[in-house]
Formats: sequence, C-alpha cells, structure tokens
Amino acid sequence: MTLLADILTLLLNGLQQGAIYVLLAVGLSIILGTLKFVNFAHGALYLVGAYLGLFITTEVPLTNGQLAEWGIQSYGIGLGFIAALVIVPIVVFVIGLLMEKFVAQAFYSRPDTDQILVTFGLAIIVQETLRAMLGGNSQPFQQPSWASGPIALPIIGNFPRWRLGVIAITAVLVLGVYLLVEYTDFGLIVQAGTLDGEMVRLLGIKLSRPYLVVFGIGAALAGVAGVVGGPLANVNPNIGTEQLVPAFLTVVIGGVGKIEGAVVAGLMLGTLQVALIQTGNAAWSQVGIYALAAVILLVRPQGLLGSEVDVS
Amino acid sequence: MTLLEVEDINGYYGESHIIQDVSMNVDDGEITALLGRNGAGKTSTLRCISGATPPDVRSGSIRFDGTDITNAPPEDIAVRGVSLVPEERRVFTDLTVAENLHLAETVRNKSNTWGRNLDFRDEGMSTEEIYEYFPRLDERRSQKAGTLSGGEQQMLAIARALHQSTDLLMLDEPYEGLAPQIIESVENAIRRISEDGTTILLVEQNAIAAMKIADRCYVLDRGTVVFEGDAETLRNDQETRDRYLGV
Repeated sequence: MTLLADILTLLLNGLQQGAIYVLLAVGLSIILGTLKFVNFAHGALYLVGAYLGLFITTEVPLTNGQLAEWGIQSYGIGLGFIAALVIVPIVVFVIGLLMEKFVAQAFYSRPDTDQILVTFGLAIIVQETLRAMLGGNSQPFQQPSWASGPIALPIIGNFPRWRLGVIAITAVLVLGVYLLVEYTDFGLIVQAGTLDGEMVRLLGIKLSRPYLVVFGIGAALAGVAGVVGGPLANVNPNIGTEQLVPAFLTVVIGGVGKIEGAVVAGLMLGTLQVALIQTGNAAWSQVGIYALAAVILLVRPQGLLGSEVDVS
Repeated sequence: MTLLEVEDINGYYGESHIIQDVSMNVDDGEITALLGRNGAGKTSTLRCISGATPPDVRSGSIRFDGTDITNAPPEDIAVRGVSLVPEERRVFTDLTVAENLHLAETVRNKSNTWGRNLDFRDEGMSTEEIYEYFPRLDERRSQKAGTLSGGEQQMLAIARALHQSTDLLMLDEPYEGLAPQIIESVENAIRRISEDGTTILLVEQNAIAAMKIADRCYVLDRGTVVFEGDAETLRNDQETRDRYLGV
C-alpha cells in the first residue's frame, strides 16, 4: 500500500517537474523544427514570464538594485494570479513577435553558431538588466491562495494542490497547441514547413507570417512556464539560464519539431529527476538526466519520435 | 503566344556562374523540353524561373504571361500560375496524400492568405478532378506520402502541382528512378494534362523519352543553350544528340 502510494506520488511529482520542461520544450521545439532557429534566449522568455507574473500578481518589496537606489520601494500591481496567467502569455507572445522580427529574422540564413551567440547574448542582457534593476535576491512567488495547501487524493493521501494545477495547466496548453498544429490549415502549413520550407513556398504559401506566429506561440508558452513554474521555487535572475539546458535536452531527446516527443521526453526527464531526489540521490539527479539523454541519443540520434532526416 | 519568356539570364551559386545567357520561350499549350546532361544547368534554370534561391539571377529577365517575374519570391510566382514538380518529387513524406494535396489549395482560402491580395488566373483542378485523374491516389488518401512507391510519389507531386493554380507546369526529371512501365504511365498522364490545355516545361536527362512527347526542345550544356528547335529536328540531328545528350 505505501509502496504503491510512493510510486504514484513519485509519478505525479515527476509529471509536475516534467510539465515545466514540456512547456519550455514544446515552444523551443516548434521554433527549432519549423524555423531552424536555435533560440538560446528561450530561457530568458521564461525568466521574463516569471518576473512579469510576479509583477502582475503581487507587490514585491525592493531592497537592492538600481530601482531601490532611486528610492522606489516596491514593484507590482497586485492583480492576482489569474490575471498573470492571462496577461503574461499575451505580453510574451508580443515579445516573441518582436524578437522574431528584429532579431531572429536576420539570422535565419546564418549558421547555427551565429544564432546561438546572438540569442545567448540577448538572454544575458535580459538577465543582467533584471539583476541590475531589481537586485539579484530571490523573491518568493506565492502560490495562489485557492490553489495552495494540500489536497487529499485517493491512495496517495495529501498532495500539494498547486502541483496538480501545474500539471493541468500544462496539459490544457499543450493539447491546445497540438490541436492547432494537427487540425488546422495553419498547423498543416507549419508541419509542411518543418519538412521542406522551400517546397511550401513553391506551392504559393507565404511562410513569413505563419513563422512569426509560431515564434510568438513558442514564446508565450515559455512565458506561461515562468508563471506556473515561478511559485514552485523562488524567482531570481538565474532561473532562465537554469531551465534552458534541460529544455534543449528535452527537445533533442523527444525529436526536434515533435510536440509529442517533447511531452514524452519532458515527462521522462522530470520523473527520473524526481525519482533520484526522492530516493535520496539528489546529488545524482543532474547526472541522471544527462546520462539518460546520452543513452537515448546513442541509440536514436534523431530522438525518440524524431524523423530520420536531420535538421541541418 | 509565348507564355514564358526567358531572356539572357545569368544565374550564380555564390561566385560560380552556372547559368550563362540562357534564353528560351515556352509557348502556350505546348510541351517544351529542356534537355542536357547531368550538371548542364537544367534544374538551376527551373529554379530561376520558379524564384527558388540559390541560384540568384544577376542579369536578364524572366517574363510570365507578360509580367516580369525575375527574382520575385517563389510564393508570388506560384500564385501567378507557375507550378513546379521538383527533382526527387519532394512530397511531404510525414503528411498523408490528402494533406499533401490540401496544402496546394490552402492559399485559395482567404483565411490562410494572411492579408495577401491574391488574384488567380486559373483556379486549379478541384480535389475530385485530381482523384479522377489519379485513381491510385484516391485509394491512398490517408496513407503517409513517404510510404508510397516512387511512381505514386511522382503522381502525387504532379497532382499537387495541378491542384495549385496552374498555367505552366514545370516537371523536373519526372522519369528519374522509375521502372519502364511506370514511366509510360507518367508519360500518359503528362500527355493528358497537355491535351487538357496546360502548358508544360519538361526537364529530362532521358532525352529519348522526352523527345517523344515534346513539341519544342532546348539543349543545355554547361549553362548555355546549344540547341533550340522543334523535337522533330532534334530527333534527326545526330551530331547534337551524340555530343550533348549521348543518345
């Protein structure tokens, strides 16, 4: 009985941990798969989402940083968590559009290394600007009151309500993106563009606008990840970079451009990580996910659900 | 009447000058064949016409139906009525037959044009007509294109092009890698499309097969036109055939 409860708890925790990876990886994966753009600033979008979520949800006291030196004592508009959940994706969607138009577009035909350098630079600018303005200290991101505290589940017993919320929000969003990609003309164009963009254009379809929207959607998902992931830990300027590498790992393990792949891989990594932590091997949890990644990629270089063709 | 007029174009891949002063005309309603050995510049010429880059056209002009389309983006050239069945077919292997075909008509739906103002001269073949033309594709509607045989993929690529707004159908090596009896059925399909009024520009290495159905021929060698004339003349010009086509 307790063993079963332990296993189920582990799976739910893994699902929750993986959910954040999935939200980040789905956006990253469709951008990489469709636009062949390596976006190292994806973590920065998560970071912006988290701070923006904090800003919208509550009022945060300022103790150091440039704003505090200017005599500003706090920031935030205190509209509550639901407001953040609605506003953040919209704002980050627009940030994504701007990023595509003014940064990414100029680098589509340039080598991956240039894309990595420019987006990584952008990520550092965002991160360090936040640190300079708001200070580097960690801010607690309160879970919404209606979703905090435990909920009694059958077999498992008490489980943090918010973790279930994270799983549910992720499931709804990823399902939405999946339906959009699988069942609309827009999605069909995006899928075909992933396979052979030039051929799509030869059919008379202009790809620049769908690509812009793809970028926006990917960004919005990263923003939401920041809002739902924020209350699981503290918010500080480093969290974007910390999430970036596991997110890329998820994309590569799942197969570039594959939403289902990102889901499977994200949940696998999350579950493994939680399993190692819960069995008292927290120190090995990072080693574990990279080792798993290495083994999978040795056996299937294109990722679990990736197509045989490579993406170069 | 001349539908497509290519005048002295020069195309480059980076610094290499691969299309040199190529001129050719494709007349309305005819089958024009562009022949030559591997590497002669046939595919590059088609890419120039369809707006695909590289190569980039640095001089000369391409006019379609009286409008200058030199260096226009491929999506704009395509909606004017130029459709391409590319080398190696390039069907979307992970998508089904029906999805491959549906893609070709998405631009006709206003909600997919993203604000572009499109005015089609030709409506393209309807889905029903397509399946009537290619009954094999009808049977395989929900099958992934990647699982089709070479001949079926070729049919799908042609069907997809016809489903676009098509006044000029450009076929790049449609016989490549196909068994002789399949070549014959592709040949019959091309004949029928031509008889139904679509102008065709056929690029082939298989000169014998191409000469059989072409009205006019151009022969390319190392990026320049070395022969132009009707198919009958080329059939009897043994020297050109030996020298440039090896047949």
